[in-house]
Amino acid sequence: MDYKTMKQNSIDRRTFLKLSGAAGIGIAASTFGVPSFLHAAPETIKIGSIQPVTGPLAIIGQGTRLGNQLAVEYINANGGIKSMGGAKIELLLGDSESKPEVGRQEADRLIKEGASILLGPFQSDVAMAIATLAEQRQVPFVMDVAALDDITKKGYEHVFRIFITSGGLVAGALKYYKTLIEISGVTPATAVVANVGDAFGKGMSDGFLKMLESSGLPIKIVERIQYPLGIQDLSAEVAKIKAAKPDILFPVSRPGDSVILLRELYKQKVSLMGIFGPGSPGWYEPDFVKDMDKLAYHTLVNVPWINPSSPSYQRGNAAFQKAVGKNLDTNSAYAYTGPLVIADALERAGSTKREAILKALRETNFKDHPVVGGPVKFDEKGDNTGAMTALIQVQPDPDLQKRVKIVLPKEFAQSDKIVFPAPQLWER
Amino acid sequence: MDSALALQLLIQGILLGGVYGLIALGLSLIFGVMGVINFAHGQIMVMGMYASYWIFVLLGIDPYVSLVAVAAIIFVLGYAIQYLVVNRILDYPEAMQVLPLVSTGLILENIALLLWGPDHRSPQTALGLDSIWMGPVMVDTSRVIAFSLAILITGLIFLFLKKTTMGKRIRAASDNRTGAVLVGINVDRINNFSFGLGAATTAAAGCLLVPIMPISPYIAHDFTTAAFIVVILGGMGNLPGAMAGGLVLGVAESLSTLVLPATLKQVVSFTLLIIIILFRPQGLFGGKK
Amino acid sequence: MNRTYILLGLILAVLLVLPLMLSKYMLGIFIMMYYYAYLGQSWNVLTGYTGHISLGHALYVGIGAYTSVFLAQRYGLSPWIGMFAGGVLASLIGLFLGFLGFRFGLRGVYFVILTIAFAEITRLIVSHIDALGSFTGIFLDFNPSFKNFQFKGNIPYYYISLGFMVMSLIVVRILETSKAGRFMVAIREDEEAAKALGVNTFKYNMFAIAVSAFMTSLGGCFYANYIFYLHPNTMFGMSLNIELILRPIVGGLGTLFGPVVGSFILTPLSEVSRAYFAKGGMEGLHLVIYGIITILVVLFMPKGIIVYLKKWLKPILSKE
Repeated sequence: MDYKTMKQNSIDRRTFLKLSGAAGIGIAASTFGVPSFLHAAPETIKIGSIQPVTGPLAIIGQGTRLGNQLAVEYINANGGIKSMGGAKIELLLGDSESKPEVGRQEADRLIKEGASILLGPFQSDVAMAIATLAEQRQVPFVMDVAALDDITKKGYEHVFRIFITSGGLVAGALKYYKTLIEISGVTPATAVVANVGDAFGKGMSDGFLKMLESSGLPIKIVERIQYPLGIQDLSAEVAKIKAAKPDILFPVSRPGDSVILLRELYKQKVSLMGIFGPGSPGWYEPDFVKDMDKLAYHTLVNVPWINPSSPSYQRGNAAFQKAVGKNLDTNSAYAYTGPLVIADALERAGSTKREAILKALRETNFKDHPVVGGPVKFDEKGDNTGAMTALIQVQPDPDLQKRVKIVLPKEFAQSDKIVFPAPQLWER
Repeated sequence: MDSALALQLLIQGILLGGVYGLIALGLSLIFGVMGVINFAHGQIMVMGMYASYWIFVLLGIDPYVSLVAVAAIIFVLGYAIQYLVVNRILDYPEAMQVLPLVSTGLILENIALLLWGPDHRSPQTALGLDSIWMGPVMVDTSRVIAFSLAILITGLIFLFLKKTTMGKRIRAASDNRTGAVLVGINVDRINNFSFGLGAATTAAAGCLLVPIMPISPYIAHDFTTAAFIVVILGGMGNLPGAMAGGLVLGVAESLSTLVLPATLKQVVSFTLLIIIILFRPQGLFGGKK
Repeated sequence: MNRTYILLGLILAVLLVLPLMLSKYMLGIFIMMYYYAYLGQSWNVLTGYTGHISLGHALYVGIGAYTSVFLAQRYGLSPWIGMFAGGVLASLIGLFLGFLGFRFGLRGVYFVILTIAFAEITRLIVSHIDALGSFTGIFLDFNPSFKNFQFKGNIPYYYISLGFMVMSLIVVRILETSKAGRFMVAIREDEEAAKALGVNTFKYNMFAIAVSAFMTSLGGCFYANYIFYLHPNTMFGMSLNIELILRPIVGGLGTLFGPVVGSFILTPLSEVSRAYFAKGGMEGLHLVIYGIITILVVLFMPKGIIVYLKKWLKPILSKE
């Protein structure tokens, strides 16, 4: 990585020298001074990217950082910010170590190093810390991934979010759950909620339960399981789930505990109509799909998702494949969207002045992005009104890469059938 | 109360408790001989899990088979930690002993992150998904094997400590350090060997867990904590107590599921811990203080 | 002796004018340096002077932070007052822990475990109290004003944290020269002997833990209003317990300036190494280096860096 950035910088410098040479000619040719775009062009525009590259969420953070980097590479390879004389974007890297105070400190460092915009940071708590800092230091902050409603509730002027809010996520879950009941004609009567005990797991499952309750659907929650993040053994919890005899399981998990949960459900032969994640990572990642094979089939999850047919996704995915041999997933795709949205705003702002960037961000209407959803537009709180979720299901396919399919909404769907109720885990 | 559920939980608790016991045995051994708490215990175990994982992935050798090789590798690691770090801090005040071992854990954890990344790794071993049914109660095959091997390894270690010269010296050093020096035992070597043995034991326990639990650099803390609690329950430096303490913790954690969310389980363990150190600091199974 | 005071005065003068020439980011590093020096000093009062090892001091940081924030959010109480409420609460909890520990004669490892258990239990319980934000944590509103202990720039935080650190030095200096302080050192050197000589060891142990807990909790209030976010895992968790003890041990345990020296070395080191390696894709390497350096210091400078610093400064300070 170091080598690559070095090389890019040297090219940048050469281009810059050429440009200044051209500017010299401009001065000679025109007594009125140089054309404004040459005059104003900074060497680079700096964006500070803060992701959890180490710490318990490092697996995701390394992907989101790469998403940021690849999008910047794409923008630069395509002429940079044209309204600013083809100025290149330089991504300054920060590591939150998954800790809010470190994220804040890193953001402050990047601002000092010249970042005109901040980008990141995957976790809601770190996002909160950086959002406050951004407001204190008056630097625009674009959140690529971070769902918690509270972050934008404070009414901060400098904070924008591309990702869906937790409220939007829950609303999507209920919408798709209702559609699922309609399509399949089967109504589960009892359910167990199993969630990881962290901000995301608790907030998500509390919100979903509340909505489910007020929806009037005839469903009874017969057990609520809550387990700590990073748990290594769920055998006792699954025994409890089995004893509660639910029709359907609503998990809100993290990568890692989903594996433990699914294996235990299989071993203990817990019979279920299906598993429906109201918004739960851990059930569709490539490693999970490969390792769990048949056990991974038929799980339904409501998620902010990639849009594989979009040109932007195909570009980003190709670059991602080339870099690490993995597919662009939701988090890295949103991270890939971040710099694109920023570049679009910079293009319209034509300057790195704070007011101009803020104004341009507020007027954003960005369609060429790689995720399921409408055009990116920010409302008065800074939330993206175009953000939406998809319902995905892991379905049998000889090609591992193609097993995860969008089943709802229809306009994005990759498979027209939804398997529900699903065959029992041990009968596959 | 659902009696089938209670029985199910009891059996699962006992099975996991055996592995806890084996993890704690290493910690107790190290404490018994040198009087230091190995704050890097969980990290050492995770290193063993990675060794076992890679042997399985690259060579296709099952964790149960590679266990001896992994224990040998981690023995060397433990020996090195003792030689490089712990031997030099044995005479320090206790407050100063804490930091080097905590830092050792930090180093190991981040070496794992550097080398193998943060992914949760979970290989599909031959018996990973097998289970045996006895009426309404399910017994997980890999857990039964883990439990049996844990008991077997514990037995072998006792045999080793009872019968071999090295074992006898370790026990002597554990009982009375100064005495061991006086009768001419090379205590440094005993120390190195004991730390190596303690590390190897916990690595073996790690191998038994590979088919059951996903591996990542960050799972170590919980195991260090569990091992602490078990050692306190069983009595510091009391080796049979470690196994018994493991069973008690396993069962207590498992049965507490009936009344508490898993996120509060550790409150039970820690409360138990406080009560024990206040009223029975020699452990549940120790004699008079 | 006079020269020592002149040197300290000079250093303080430099620190006081430093904000004039430093960027906000550099100020941030200094704030963290002062903050961890302050926490380390507070911990030092108990562990450095009486020898009772606490590996659960995050407990008091968390109590201070949560109490002041809770009172501010619920009742609009200024954190400047709420912080003392937190201090009193932390002292009471410290006294309870101390009562158990000292009455039952827990020493060494057993006392360590008692302190860890208290911190962990509190962490888990706070994680389940909705009024305290449970797993989600508490997000503070950003309403900058002196009363709210919140400021736009880093400069006020800089002076407040510097003030905290200087205050803690003064308090510990007074303690060192007092009767209580001398008895505490006697307890550290040999508790039984001190008892035999008629020192009421229980009383002085309790005194030390109450002072230590009180001071630590004030730091928690500062941190909450600097970071604007509280989470049980970061405020009560094991990693803070460890962070807290690193600096005084590296600097010099049981010495007045040890925690400060330790923090002035370790805090920038962790910042700089993180910033440096974050660029190279070597995630985690900075923590490996951090770990190796702390081990090396403990192995080869077991009395802390302060000893070498003193030796080095001696010719300057003792010249007549």
